Amino acid sequence: MIRTQLWRYGKQYGTAAIAALALVAALAAAGLPSQATVRKARARAARGQQSSAAPVKSYGSKSAPITMEVFTDYECPSCRAFFEQTLRPMINDYVASGKVYLIHRDFPLQMHTYSGQAARWANAAAKIGDFEPAESALYDNQTAWTADGNLQKYLSAAVSATDFRRMETIVKGCEGAAPQAKPNRGNPLPAGDHCSLDSAIASDIQQGYGVPVNATPTFVITYKGQRMPPDSGYVSWPLLKQFFDSLLAQ
Amino acid sequence: MPNHARGTLGRILLIVGRLALAAVFLFAAYMKIKPPQGMHWSPATLKTSLAMFAMEVDSYEMLSPPQVNLVAHVLPFVELALGIWLLTGVGLRFSSLATTLLLAGFIAAMFSAYERGLTISCGCFGPGEQVGPKRLVEDGLLFLPIAIAVAVGAFVVHRRTRARTPKSNATSA
Repeated sequence: MIRTQLWRYGKQYGTAAIAALALVAALAAAGLPSQATVRKARARAARGQQSSAAPVKSYGSKSAPITMEVFTDYECPSCRAFFEQTLRPMINDYVASGKVYLIHRDFPLQMHTYSGQAARWANAAAKIGDFEPAESALYDNQTAWTADGNLQKYLSAAVSATDFRRMETIVKGCEGAAPQAKPNRGNPLPAGDHCSLDSAIASDIQQGYGVPVNATPTFVITYKGQRMPPDSGYVSWPLLKQFFDSLLAQ
Repeated sequence: MPNHARGTLGRILLIVGRLALAAVFLFAAYMKIKPPQGMHWSPATLKTSLAMFAMEVDSYEMLSPPQVNLVAHVLPFVELALGIWLLTGVGLRFSSLATTLLLAGFIAAMFSAYERGLTISCGCFGPGEQVGPKRLVEDGLLFLPIAIAVAVGAFVVHRRTRARTPKSNATSA
């Protein structure tokens, strides 16, 4: 008899539990956004930043134990090698797995004709959430655009037509002299009027002066708030990875 | 200046030069193996310091990553051993010769990097110092001449001592 009662109670509670689970699942499915929705929302948010917001030139999560700030010049060959052979595998591996937060800082050198303009385009791309493809396009085609300064050709191929039109709108009025890092650490902003993108580039350069950045690429690694001495020049990925591993093993 | 006074001065200069080189090498080794700022001495921080030095060696773009690792993990301890060896003064001819060769190697590597237009951290006394004319002049016109002078002096002293020893033996005999 006890057995029969237990069976009945079990049946009743079991049915209630299944119903509750089904209800929770239905609510979750209706209320929670899908991956695609999240991606679309992020893109919308990035686009919504418009020209007044600071451009986001970083990869990964801010909560990563290691932060790496890289001061680069889009026209410098060592910077290209560093991006292609070291940073790209790092982004795919240690940034993707949440170990490293990578921050790009502009440091266009005075000796390079188009690097300031390239930084402007990259910042415009960053404002609409397209920094990653823009940076890749600039480095991948560095040899080509440094010859004639035709940056648009490669950037337009890297992003969607709509996004490129947005970038063009942001860059409009930025045809004059661009900010540059001066050897005497002088004001990076050009004399006279400057466009809306220049303050972000000048701010990066000023930060570089403080490091101090004497050459590009220069990178500063911070591990759990402890800032390591800056290092400059090309470093291969296996050795940078070895350094990160030694930090993560602390 | 009388001969004995010149000999004494030479010996004093030899000691000063030897101690200066020992100090340079011990300081260079210390700067490479000391833990990064804010970290304590431990096997883990030693590994971090050596990994950081490996990145500096790598930026010379002369060696493959395994070769870089070998150099970066051996060189600081070679410098430490050489510093101690110079400090003791035992077998000065050989220690000063090794120092001269090592310094010549460093200068060659730095000159090569400078000639290739690499603006990198030299890694000489830890991170931060750049390869450039200042560093090349300091190593090429200061440390290397001292090392050569100490090596030449050590060989001269040794030869004189050896030349004197059989004579005195013969006299006493």
